[in-house]
Amino acid sequence: MLTLDNVSAGYDATDVLHGVSITARPGELTVILGANGSGKTTLFKTISGLMRVRAGSIAYEGRQLHRARPNAIVKAGIAHCPEGRHLFGKMSVEKNLRLGSYPHRNSSRTEEIYAEVLDLFPILKEKSKQPAGSLSGGQQQMVAIGRALMSDPSLLILDEPSMGLAPIVVEQVLESVAQINRNGIGVLLSEQNAKASLAIAHRGYVLAEGRIVLADDASRLLNNPEVQAAYLGL
Amino acid sequence: MTLFIQQLFNGLALGGVYCLAAIGLTLVFGVLRIPNLAHGALYMLGAYITYFFLTTVGVPYIAAIGIAAIMLFVVGVGLERLVFHPLRNSPHTHHMIAAVGAMFFFQALAQAIWGADFRRMDTPITGELRILGAEISAQRIVIIVTAVIVLALLAWFIKRSIHGQTIEAIEQDRVGASLVGINPSMVAMLTLGLSALLATIAAGLVAPINLLSPTMGDALNLKVFAIIILGGLGSLPGAIVGGFALAIAETMTATYISSAVGETVAFVVLVAVLAIKPNGLFTKAVQR
Repeated sequence: MLTLDNVSAGYDATDVLHGVSITARPGELTVILGANGSGKTTLFKTISGLMRVRAGSIAYEGRQLHRARPNAIVKAGIAHCPEGRHLFGKMSVEKNLRLGSYPHRNSSRTEEIYAEVLDLFPILKEKSKQPAGSLSGGQQQMVAIGRALMSDPSLLILDEPSMGLAPIVVEQVLESVAQINRNGIGVLLSEQNAKASLAIAHRGYVLAEGRIVLADDASRLLNNPEVQAAYLGL
Repeated sequence: MTLFIQQLFNGLALGGVYCLAAIGLTLVFGVLRIPNLAHGALYMLGAYITYFFLTTVGVPYIAAIGIAAIMLFVVGVGLERLVFHPLRNSPHTHHMIAAVGAMFFFQALAQAIWGADFRRMDTPITGELRILGAEISAQRIVIIVTAVIVLALLAWFIKRSIHGQTIEAIEQDRVGASLVGINPSMVAMLTLGLSALLATIAAGLVAPINLLSPTMGDALNLKVFAIIILGGLGSLPGAIVGGFALAIAETMTATYISSAVGETVAFVVLVAVLAIKPNGLFTKAVQR
């Protein structure tokens, strides 16, 4: 279980997150909804250690993580697939994926996970020798998710995986996210597409201006009039 | 024709030295995003330590280079830890000032230990080989062969080994590298250590041909900076092609025009490249 307790974080002098408390239960799919600039990306960067926690605490499976570096956090089982993907563009798809297993590079499970990732995204098998930067946006997103999965996480953080993709590709990406979750990996997802993401989620939070304004079961959030008005366009 | 072949081999030997020195500098630029102005001083220190083990201690030539290279790897790691790491969040000018400071420190250290006078490292490898009618000194053949072997090992290390791949990963995407669990500080130490190691191999190879002095790194510094700008900052193939191209141009100009002009070739080419293709010959686009 991932628990954030009253976490504040931000850039330079200004805080972006103001005392955010959330929990992501093991094996569940938790979705964070929020408009652009509400702090979703900052929240995820703070969890994965790319940004420092200014106040509050983060714990994962009983371990305190709010002072840990990104490499320690990946090792603890939290993989972050960031907004903008951050692939190694000139390296082949296969190298990108294999570098994902860097924290457990001597583990015998690597080949097994590699095969699982290719099962999940069969197209990457064909593209394995191509530079990651030459792939389409949807395929690059698959590489990014695959690379995060290669670290054998128990919690996968996905920051707007459907951003900038064509509607049909968005559907495929969200379907694979649901599949990953069904395979037993906890997912923390942020999405603009509230309806589709709530449909596959267990729980949801609504983030506005760096504060959690709503927290509930996904099904109840879907029927919540406030959410419907603000995010579902109903 | 004999003269030409002779000079071609001289150029190739010099090119091997330039490549080894330039690749380290371009790797450091790619990973730390700083021009390490102390690079020539590391090269100089490597030459003196090779000299010390060869002449004072009396170990065989190649072993002396090997010991010096390992010692300089440690010096490079120390330079990263003590000088560049504490400055990692400060403006770039601070890095450059610190690097110049490190350069003066190393020069003063060499002068304190070995004095300011030129020193000669006697050629341990004597004899000449006849190739296509030209007499090529065995030392130059050793330089060329060693440079090719070291470059091949380096290419294998960076492309195939997991630790080498972390260098490329950091160069290509720092955030992505952090998120797959690569520790950027470790990679920075590795890269600076590697650059000092390569510079030492270059220095140890060329030392029997040139003289040693505490300021011997200055001229090399200017040339390797010209090479990596020529090849495109951070580009490995660029550093290799640039190193050989510059060395051959320099040798040929010195032979067929005048040795004074030979020394200036690097900068004439550099100015021309900066005017025509400012990002270097081997880069497709500006990287940051």
